Amino acid sequence: MTKRLGSLVSLRRFTGTLRIARWELTRSAGGLDRRTAAFGLLVLALAGGAVAAGLAPSPGDVALDRNVYRVGVGANSPYYEVIAANGALAAKPPSADALDAGEIDVLVRDDRVLIEDSAKSRAALAAFRSATESYNDRRMRAEEDEIAAFPVGVSLTYEDRTLSSGASGSGASGSESSEAGQAAAGSDRAAGAPFESLVLAFAFLVPMNFVVQLYGSSMLGERTNRRGELLLVAPVKPTEIVAGKTLPYFLGLAGIAAVIAATVGGGIVSVAAVVPIGLCFLAATFLGSMLARSFKELTFVTIAASVFLMSYVFVPAVFTNVTPIALISPLTLVVRDLASESVSLGEYAFSTGPFYLSGLVLFVLGTGIYREEDLFTQRAVPLKFLDALGARLRRYRSVALLSTLFIPFVFIAELLGIAVLFALPIGYSLPVLFLVIATVEELGKSVHIYAGYAQNRFETGWRTALLLGALSGVGFFLGEKLTLLAQAVGLPELALGRAAFVPSGAGGIELLALALAPLALHCVTASISAFGAHRSKRGYLIGLLGAIGVHAAYNLTVVSALV
Amino acid sequence: MSDSRLTIAKRELSGLRKEKTILLALAIQLFIAAFSSFLVVGLVSLYDPGSVEGYSIDVAVAGESADDLLAVASRQDGLEPTRYSNPATAYRSFQSGASDAVLIANRRPSGRVSVQATVPDGNVQTTIVVVRLRETLRAYERAERGQLADRLESMPLELPPEERSNPYYDFTYTVLVPLLLFLPVFISGSITVDSITEELDQGTMELLRVTPITFGRILDGKLLAAALLAPVQALLWLGLLSLNGTQVADVPALLALVGAFSLLLTAIGVAVSLLAPDRRVAQPVYSVCALALIGGTATLPNGPVNTVARLAIDSGGPETTATVAGYGLFAIGVYAATRWLIDRTDPAAL
Repeated sequence: MTKRLGSLVSLRRFTGTLRIARWELTRSAGGLDRRTAAFGLLVLALAGGAVAAGLAPSPGDVALDRNVYRVGVGANSPYYEVIAANGALAAKPPSADALDAGEIDVLVRDDRVLIEDSAKSRAALAAFRSATESYNDRRMRAEEDEIAAFPVGVSLTYEDRTLSSGASGSGASGSESSEAGQAAAGSDRAAGAPFESLVLAFAFLVPMNFVVQLYGSSMLGERTNRRGELLLVAPVKPTEIVAGKTLPYFLGLAGIAAVIAATVGGGIVSVAAVVPIGLCFLAATFLGSMLARSFKELTFVTIAASVFLMSYVFVPAVFTNVTPIALISPLTLVVRDLASESVSLGEYAFSTGPFYLSGLVLFVLGTGIYREEDLFTQRAVPLKFLDALGARLRRYRSVALLSTLFIPFVFIAELLGIAVLFALPIGYSLPVLFLVIATVEELGKSVHIYAGYAQNRFETGWRTALLLGALSGVGFFLGEKLTLLAQAVGLPELALGRAAFVPSGAGGIELLALALAPLALHCVTASISAFGAHRSKRGYLIGLLGAIGVHAAYNLTVVSALV
Repeated sequence: MSDSRLTIAKRELSGLRKEKTILLALAIQLFIAAFSSFLVVGLVSLYDPGSVEGYSIDVAVAGESADDLLAVASRQDGLEPTRYSNPATAYRSFQSGASDAVLIANRRPSGRVSVQATVPDGNVQTTIVVVRLRETLRAYERAERGQLADRLESMPLELPPEERSNPYYDFTYTVLVPLLLFLPVFISGSITVDSITEELDQGTMELLRVTPITFGRILDGKLLAAALLAPVQALLWLGLLSLNGTQVADVPALLALVGAFSLLLTAIGVAVSLLAPDRRVAQPVYSVCALALIGGTATLPNGPVNTVARLAIDSGGPETTATVAGYGLFAIGVYAATRWLIDRTDPAAL
């Protein structure tokens, strides 16, 4: 009986959400005067048409690097055609003075090639060399005697050496008929950036910004001029309001992603990889619109979220074929999908998991301050942020819960750290990485405790502070088990990945004590910062620094001994 | 005369300073700069054998044409070929980790040499291995082609000499610098739209209009404040980049270009917010215009992004100077059109 009642209640909630969603749709369309709407539609259509007309014929021919290098070459030189056919190289009259003066970067004179001793000249020479290679390939392809033109055929096999029994050849550069010259195409799988797929993948992200702008306007609109009051007196919960107002935009994002996928030839994997990015973007905008005081501030918050997300998903995807690090970005899945490569479920979970989870947590935090006393007050963004955290602290238990909820952010920040540091020599990068990890984790364990103290939510006294610290440590330790996911894609093969993820997880199989040591560490360090936080803001900063120091020292001694 | 406009501009800037949001904008750019340059530095160190130890790769060579291949391979940098008597032993050395890759070369009845290359899968080193093998096999192809020259109608051109260089050298100039310079421009226009639509929405524009300043002056002041912000931020970034060791050439021309686009986009921002005073419409419309102007022109030669790249990498010339001047004139034209629109707009009707 109670079960049925429960389902009835949830059904009513659901219809409430749907009603608000419908309302949001009709209101945002109906609230505009006709002239404004017509103008908006006209410009969107014009600009969309212009961009489509400009980009459609040549999506791969984005000429960012056109004529960036200048080569001095005579019009009768055989190399003149090489330069003319290459976009990045510009042909200039050959003169030694021009080379000295830096007006040209490479000088071709009677089969001799001269350069200046500068990074730019060397880069120009490398570009010239590869332009000549592709020019030769084009010429050879026109030859009648194929075997003389391409006397070497190459087949490339990637083989997993850790599994010595199974040859997992993901047969690469094509079949046996491929020539060394044409094997370039195959080798690019590993060597260069898959630019065409990347440009297409970026097509998924651009429309997202517009949907998010509309969403942010609508959300902040509820807060300015006290418009949201009506919603608050209606018999619906804040959760339903937020869900209802978000639903149309979320569905819009998913729909656009599906349309784009169909256009550029992506499959269900592309859509499934892009949707969590959209969710996270919406969530960040929602929290931003709950924190911002004005539209100007919201613009900054939205652009910050946008730039962070875009670089987090885009930059690693450039290295899709280079290293497994690229998998921290869901866009890598899109690029692979567009290249018709397969994506395993573990890889999907690894790259999108943090996005799903962070999106949900941001929504939870924002919904906490979706109430009258916060909605219509104007405070600086950091103070509002502390409010959002404090709103979630009802009992002591909540401290542990929040610590757990911060794990996805900690995970993202740590992956970012690895992505940035992975290629530096391990001697330099490891200590820096440990410091980054310690800072991120200590912040994640203590910022809500500080928020609680700043709003007088906890009893004073050092006993409470220590209890809070211990709770936070336990919550964080449990949540950290999530990082075991990292091992699904073989990230631990990298020494850095091992350093970051093993100590908290599987390393404990060997030593039971080692499994419990991180728990003790987290509790101790969280208590240090909690103890500081119970005194004052300055106390918190000092406590936090102390906690980071202890954490980093622990990592350096214990973990480096193991790796 | 221009006092009232300056007063409005100061008011706008102090509003931004009070909200401290400008700090956020700087933090965003710092993030982009740090993230991209770290990745670039990291990748470069992978390709540079001197900076990372153990990246001279050992290659096991076998097969009936192995000797020819070996002769070419031993002349390559960063590659240590070893002759194995048969494919099985070569393959075993790969499995045991003694070599990083296997090349098995056999001549087919057609006369073509078939090379089977096996490389380890799924680690960072794979990239370097493949790049080095590719260079070696291309050299081998050229050598083989030379022996069959009499069967070809035209000979391929001799390649320019090889020089170790940073393969991501132009990434900094064609992607990172334009991104850092155009982001403040984009934000400036966006602030203008917000500033105007917000005042219209909350009715504070009415309050400003009872002061003895004309509507045109108010909008001019807002435009001035936002348009000046972008070149200042751009200058800051160019300074930071040069501290970081990235030499950016032709700073005055770059600043002029940023200034032109800043004026252009803020003028468009003003025009859009007058034609569509609702922020929900004005912001997306403005963003589309800005994207079309900066991103949509990426395929054109002398587009803004390409011009920035050429100026920054020190490949500017009369052509780029003319382009910058052209963008400046275009921006002034759009600004004049916006002024005309402001004069024709009745502020009471908004």
